[in-house]
Amino acid sequence: MEGEHGTSDVKFLIGRNAGKSAVIAAFIATHVATMAGLWFDGARLPKFDFNNLNGYLVLGLSYGFANPAINFVVGGIIHYTSGIIWGVIFALIFHPALGRFIKPLQALTPVNNFIKGVIWGAVLWIVSSAFWMPLLIGPLFQPINVGVGPFLTTFGPYGVQALFTNLFWHTIYGVNLGLLFSPTPGTGARPWRSSSGVGVR
Amino acid sequence: MEMRAPLVAAGIFLLGLVLLAIGALIEPPRPQISQSGESLIALGLTFIVVGVGFFLAWANPTS
Repeated sequence: MEGEHGTSDVKFLIGRNAGKSAVIAAFIATHVATMAGLWFDGARLPKFDFNNLNGYLVLGLSYGFANPAINFVVGGIIHYTSGIIWGVIFALIFHPALGRFIKPLQALTPVNNFIKGVIWGAVLWIVSSAFWMPLLIGPLFQPINVGVGPFLTTFGPYGVQALFTNLFWHTIYGVNLGLLFSPTPGTGARPWRSSSGVGVR
Repeated sequence: MEMRAPLVAAGIFLLGLVLLAIGALIEPPRPQISQSGESLIALGLTFIVVGVGFFLAWANPTS
């Protein structure tokens, strides 16, 4: 991982190589999106508390309701870890692959990096809405009569606004990830193309 | 692309503002909820975030 990005041919906003930059950018993106999700209720949107949802998944509903602080912290650790891992997958796999398959996104510019981040956010929104919420959270909440419809078209008292709010959450994540994980060509070196692979040799 | 970027960002931002305003207008007072009102608010805020991010990426203050 240190290889190509450890030299001066590519520079990052954060860190000196793709791996370190990805971890830090993904942590910040996860934190910003997570905090925004907790504040959604103030904008008349469904509250997205992924910390507690992850806690309920691993600890169970009854334990989570009885111990809300433990549930929040344990779920938060899992949620932040997931956010960082998804960010590393973006930086090391998705980011260079997108540059190879979509030629206009090949150049390493801040705008292209940002667009890739937004696309990655949309991909994760589909994963979350199509699989994670209906297949894991739906059955978990069934005993307390909180339904999760297919592709998050319902969530408790909410209808399709839950789906769009989930899009908003993942867009916040993708925007921050794309802005912060921003490899650009370094000075005085040969032009670097994303199709050559971000830090993977 | 680089020259059109601020115009694209402004367009996305304005679209988000319009959607947000319409959503906020049709959203009933608490504790009632409106599916279409909240959907428009969510979509509007999404476009606003993308528009602001697009502009910041283009402006690239750290380069």
